[in-house]
Amino acid sequence: MIHKSFIRHQIIRSRNQALLFVMCVVLSIIFMVALGGFSESITYSLLKDAKSLHAADIIIRSRSPFSASLKEAVVQLEQKDFVESESAYEFYSMVRDPVENRTLLSGIKVVGPKYPFYGRVELHSGKELRETLEKGSVIVEKNLLDRLDLQIGSPLQVGQATLQIKDLVQKEPDRPIRFFSLGPRVFVSSKDLSELDLIDKGSRIGYSILLKVLDSKHLNRIADGLKAVAADHERVETFRSAESRIKRFFDNFLFYIGLAGLFTLLLAGIGIQSSLTSLLKENEETIAIMKTVGAGGRFVITQYSLMVLFLGMAGTAVGIASGFFTQYALVFLLRSFLPYGFEFIFSWKAIFQGFILGIVVVMLFTFMPLLRIKDIKPYAIFRKERPAQPRLLWQALISIGILSLFAATVVWQLRDASSGLRFAAGAIGFILLIAGMIHLVLKAVKNLRVSALAPRQSLKGLFRPGNATKLILVTLTASLTVIFSIYFIERNLDESFVRSYPQDSPNVYFIDIQPNQKADFSDVLGNDTVYYPIVRARIVSLNGNPIDRKKQRMRRRDNLARMFNLTYRNYLLPDESISKGKDLFDRNRQGVPVSILDTVQEMADIAIGDTITFRIQGIPLEARVSSIRTRTKGSIQPYFYFVFPENILEKAPQTIFAALRVETESIAGLQNRIVSRFPNVSVIDMTQVISTFAGVMRKLSGTIRLFTFLSISAGFFILISSIFATRLARIREAVYFKILGAKKRFVLSVFAYENFFIGLVSAVLASGFSQAASYLISTYFFHIPYRSFLGACLLMITGAAMVVCAVGTVASVSILNKKPAIFLREQSEG
Amino acid sequence: MRFFRMLLAGMALCIWLLPGCDRKEPIVPESEKPVFAGTILAIGDSLTEGYGLEEADAYPALLQQRLLAEGYRYKVINAGIGGETTSGLRSRIDWAITLSPDIVIIETGANDALRAIDTALIKGNMEAVILILKERNIPVVLAGMRIYKNLGADYASAFENIYPDLAGVHGLIFMPFFLKDVAGNPGLNQQDGMHPTAEGYRIISNNIYPYVVEAINRLKKK
Repeated sequence: MIHKSFIRHQIIRSRNQALLFVMCVVLSIIFMVALGGFSESITYSLLKDAKSLHAADIIIRSRSPFSASLKEAVVQLEQKDFVESESAYEFYSMVRDPVENRTLLSGIKVVGPKYPFYGRVELHSGKELRETLEKGSVIVEKNLLDRLDLQIGSPLQVGQATLQIKDLVQKEPDRPIRFFSLGPRVFVSSKDLSELDLIDKGSRIGYSILLKVLDSKHLNRIADGLKAVAADHERVETFRSAESRIKRFFDNFLFYIGLAGLFTLLLAGIGIQSSLTSLLKENEETIAIMKTVGAGGRFVITQYSLMVLFLGMAGTAVGIASGFFTQYALVFLLRSFLPYGFEFIFSWKAIFQGFILGIVVVMLFTFMPLLRIKDIKPYAIFRKERPAQPRLLWQALISIGILSLFAATVVWQLRDASSGLRFAAGAIGFILLIAGMIHLVLKAVKNLRVSALAPRQSLKGLFRPGNATKLILVTLTASLTVIFSIYFIERNLDESFVRSYPQDSPNVYFIDIQPNQKADFSDVLGNDTVYYPIVRARIVSLNGNPIDRKKQRMRRRDNLARMFNLTYRNYLLPDESISKGKDLFDRNRQGVPVSILDTVQEMADIAIGDTITFRIQGIPLEARVSSIRTRTKGSIQPYFYFVFPENILEKAPQTIFAALRVETESIAGLQNRIVSRFPNVSVIDMTQVISTFAGVMRKLSGTIRLFTFLSISAGFFILISSIFATRLARIREAVYFKILGAKKRFVLSVFAYENFFIGLVSAVLASGFSQAASYLISTYFFHIPYRSFLGACLLMITGAAMVVCAVGTVASVSILNKKPAIFLREQSEG
Repeated sequence: MRFFRMLLAGMALCIWLLPGCDRKEPIVPESEKPVFAGTILAIGDSLTEGYGLEEADAYPALLQQRLLAEGYRYKVINAGIGGETTSGLRSRIDWAITLSPDIVIIETGANDALRAIDTALIKGNMEAVILILKERNIPVVLAGMRIYKNLGADYASAFENIYPDLAGVHGLIFMPFFLKDVAGNPGLNQQDGMHPTAEGYRIISNNIYPYVVEAINRLKKK
């Protein structure tokens, strides 16, 4: 029953619509393939990062020497060629300049030649660690040379051994990101370990065994085996299991990418549906004639389904091929723009998934338009009204079918049933909400009275029967919402990360300053120093109910039973904002005010006005919650859960913590000055931690920007193609205007007004929706403070309205240049 | 990120604060409320405070129990502040003596040593505190402390010598090592390997008990 010539003829006749249909399919597949490759690349480089952050696949840590059973298990794994292993020891020790007899507390790390399995220890000389760190030598941080006034080549006494400084360490891969060091790093070769004579029963040593798993398939099995034999004090971690905030963030981010990808796919689907609808609309008369001459509904549907199948397959094939090239192009193009260490990998899996998704989307979104063919009655040749609506039951069944297929796709894509279903429900609710809003807007516009002819005609045009105004408004609003949201979320993420490592953030911390030293301290450090007084306290009761300490301690995360650091100040820190309450301390309320960080609310149900009783220095202090603060989570700045007004805690025994930005090269000098004048104050150099952190954040924001660029450009193409699809469908009016004697300019202005109206309405609606969506995602998903970027928002509304207007009008221009008679003749052919 | 908390809490024997009032509401019922003959102030760092434990499980509370059981009606105030250095102690000693203690137990210095603070400074701070107490004729029990060997033999021995030196010079009652029988025993320490468990504190309170009795006897002779 295949009528090849019929199908070919139909396609040629509606080539514009057919082309758009194919384009939407192609775009959706390209996007899915590119996105798949992108997210796989992120996962890949994340895993690589995670490995180098641990310098190993598996790391076993202990505070006391490893048990015999664990050591035996490692030896066996090595004998079976499952793993390679290396030991490392970390501890603090006073190193000594044997000539001048000066000492300095240093962070010693004793490693063997295989360290590190992943990542690289960067040395000043550019050489490899394993070549440089020989027996009898040490590699130190530059800070040590500056503080002890030594040079490369000088001797250095570590424990009982006198070693020679061979090189400087600039970066070590597995230095923990939250590690604060009390002294500069000193690398010692494991061959010198016994000569140091520092590891003894009364020593505090961090023991670790690093393992490289030779076949990554066995990673979990090997780790589980080791966990089974490990004693209580031995912790077995894999580079995958190690908890890190960054990793959790990336997990969320990958999920978000999947989500945004699905939304974009949904838009492509709407594009497919609208182009097919208008394609079939063009052919309505043909269908009616076919039915008049006796063609059965099934026959017609079969022919059109075959046509759609053919077009869909063509689109899929082109999409896969272009997806293939897109991935290569991305690998090639983005290499130099990518954040350091990020590699774009080519993914066959992504291509396969793109193929499957393409087919599913084509099936989903062509089903409805194809079914409508059934309802086209022969008399449609004579009448211009819309075909009768299909029966409600049928429509409901079809909708349910489509929805479940959609939900299944989402669940498959997000790999998590409950969030998949929630997403599907949310997406549908979102579309319905948009449709409802647009219905209301159109209703309001219908009653509008405009006197100028062109705008009046354009408004009337919106409601002409057969016009797809509602459809295009829904499509545009949905696409713009997705594009705007992705943009706003990018801005918010970026802002949060940029703010968490500002160039001038303090990199040197001073701890244990005594209150009577503060004035002198300010003299030495200058006025830029931020001082944080610390008063320690326990919480006794909450709203008069004593804290159930046993129950609190059972909590897996933070709890109220521990000791807290209180502070006092009358201002917010730069990375804080008030999330609830008028200001820090509501002076109108009675009693002692205290401002709490929102994190406290995770430990207990505390609201503004609640009473917390602290015990500070043995003295109970009852305070009323006056405000709730929020801060940039993930920032490396100090923070306090409980902030009091100055006059309340000023007199309480306290120590002071200070933070200051110091140029790297002057840190050692400052440390020496401080230690000689305030020997009780410890100076902690955070520069390396902050720079590692900043590196990760830069990478993160680069990745986010790249993703945003990808998805916004895809969204943009889909937007344009759906404008084309729906605009073409209602071009007939242009012809009537011309027949009635309208000048080209007039027709153009009517179209421009109409397109502008459509663009403006959808952009304004989309900006509202996207603000809400990005607020929700920022707050509840990424846990970052939300800013609305109103300026950018206005700019985007204007831009989007203009783009829609321009594209819509351009889509009409080709028709305007045609002679009305030719157009009419073309239209009535078939 | 719990960075800041770790900075303070994790870095050493942590945390402070000094909840003197704790034992003002004793656990015993009202009717059996003991009438105290005097007050013992236990000042120190997290090892006195009982980091990670209930205050009732830290040594001052256990010591008071033991004293009461043996017929010494003394109240022991837990004035331990986690993370406190000898400099911090020196800053707050004036406040501490407003509680008018009859006896003071000093356990401090470990946080200084973990940061390798100059031993002369540690000694100076402790001496200043001791002098203030001596001036008021308050008997002092000084608990000795040791530091990890990995810091280096020179530093470790200089640090350990501070305690017997000061005790000898000022005639204090001297407990040679506060963590005797507890340090280095994984079963008696919390996961961090630094802070004793409740069981560990039971041993410590029994170890320190005879020295406190000696201080009480000295007080009675006054």
